[in-house]
Amino acid sequence: MDMQDGPERIFESAATVAEAVAARASGAAVLAGGTWTMRDPRRGVTLPERIVALSKIAELQSIEVFDDRISIGASVTHSLLAGAVSEIVGLEGLAAAATGAANPAIRRVATVGGNLCATEFAAADLVPALLALDAEVELALADGPRLLPLSEFLKARAALLKTALLTRVIVRRDVIASAHIRLPLRKAGDYPVAIVSVARSSDGTVRVAVGSVEPVARRWTALEAALGGKVATAEEAQALAEKTNDFIGRDGIETEGWYRREVLPALVRRAFAALRKGGAA
Amino acid sequence: MTVTFQLNGERCRFHEDPMTPLLDVLRREKFLTGAKAVCREGFCGACTVHVDGEPMMSCLKPVGLVSGCSVTTIEGLSSGDQALHPLQAAFEAADVVQCGMCFPGMVMSLSAFVRDNPEATRPQIKTAMAGNICRCTGYERIIDAVADYLAVQKAGSQAKEAAHV
Ligand SMILES: Cc1cc2nc3c(=O)[nH]c(=O)nc-3n(C[C@@H](O)[C@@H](O)[C@H](O)COP(=O)(O)OP(=O)(O)OC[C@H]3O[C@@H](n4cnc5c(N)ncnc54)[C@H](O)[C@@H]3O)c2cc1C
Ligand code: FES
Ligand code: FES
Repeated sequence: MDMQDGPERIFESAATVAEAVAARASGAAVLAGGTWTMRDPRRGVTLPERIVALSKIAELQSIEVFDDRISIGASVTHSLLAGAVSEIVGLEGLAAAATGAANPAIRRVATVGGNLCATEFAAADLVPALLALDAEVELALADGPRLLPLSEFLKARAALLKTALLTRVIVRRDVIASAHIRLPLRKAGDYPVAIVSVARSSDGTVRVAVGSVEPVARRWTALEAALGGKVATAEEAQALAEKTNDFIGRDGIETEGWYRREVLPALVRRAFAALRKGGAA
Repeated sequence: MTVTFQLNGERCRFHEDPMTPLLDVLRREKFLTGAKAVCREGFCGACTVHVDGEPMMSCLKPVGLVSGCSVTTIEGLSSGDQALHPLQAAFEAADVVQCGMCFPGMVMSLSAFVRDNPEATRPQIKTAMAGNICRCTGYERIIDAVADYLAVQKAGSQAKEAAHV
């Protein structure tokens, strides 16, 4: 491991997952692309004193496509992800999330792991897209690897990330169509004020996930239950979304909480319209 | 910690905090002030440089992450005594620059874009500029200049091909 002391900081560049896990055990914070972390000072948060960079760990940078699943390394950037999944049937929503987020220069740098592990970031695009796909995440911990559903990871994220390293995301390929609808107030680079991601599996199950409305993205289980596996039209889905809207919107600089909540049924309509056309946004 | 990288073709060392934004190393240590510090949040693109040939925001790039990489700034794209980069020349010829604050970043983003997307359409050019904010020009003349540049390059390469037959 390449370890050097700065005046105030220890910055290590791990060569393997094991080295990164060891660094975490001694208190190092993870640095992936840095597009979130580097803005810590602007949020009044001081940069971590001890840092372990992942950029030299080759095994975290690959995407493997199998017949039944795809495995996405934590250090895969948004632009690499977009390139790798844009032709895969069923993953239209994930491709739209990876292409729609931020701006080209940020997408070239910002990683999947950083998107899933920025605990204070409510507007993450990949989180709802991957929730709708019922993805699993693999963590590396001092006592070995651990696989858990993304939804479980999100619930325990802050505690898990005290020592864990996220190593990969696993997406099953039983989804036949998906869509990711984001609503930024301006097109260029704004965070979405609300996000609706939907996916339909080959067995007819429809999953709906919402991002940016509450502090952490979550599945819209009340709407999923009301849909009950039926193939709903866009308007039917919108009507059910109006009846089952149990979100409490967060206030933020871009907009107030009530607005984030109120736009959801319209985004559900757009998402279902896209789903009927075979996905995408 | 010492970070070593190539800067505009020359070896460069930085001995202080590896979390220092590359932008500050360029401007404060190397006096390369082409990359501008405007938003420092990754939104405006005024600080865009190439890292291993790819445009990135230097304000959000900890210098520790460019260890072993090759960094090119607007100053290195074409130094004063060489011909301008052809896209820079096209911008100058079409008189698209106004105050100039956004242009180093605009050129760094779009020079890589035209290299990688010789067939780009107008909407694709616009999408490529989503991370480069310009407060003066209203963008249209920049987009026109890029579209014209691509058309000229294409005509040029077609003429070359025809000459080979
Ligand atoms: C201008 C701009 C616009 C943006 N727009 C959007 C947008 O539209 N949609 C969107 O979703 N995001 C957007 N973002 C946020 C963007 O920063 C994140 O989405 C990005 O994915 C973070 O990844 P990173 O690799 O840069 O993370 P980093 O900054 O390196 O890390 C982020 C956090 O995750 C932790 N971490 C990173 N990797 C791991 C890992 N493997 N294991 C454990 N912990 C880890 C770090 O310790 C840190 O706490 C935008 C950012 C900018 C600057
Ligand atoms: S100063 Fe870096 S993007 Fe604005
Ligand atoms: S020319 Fe002034 S900001 Fe673009």
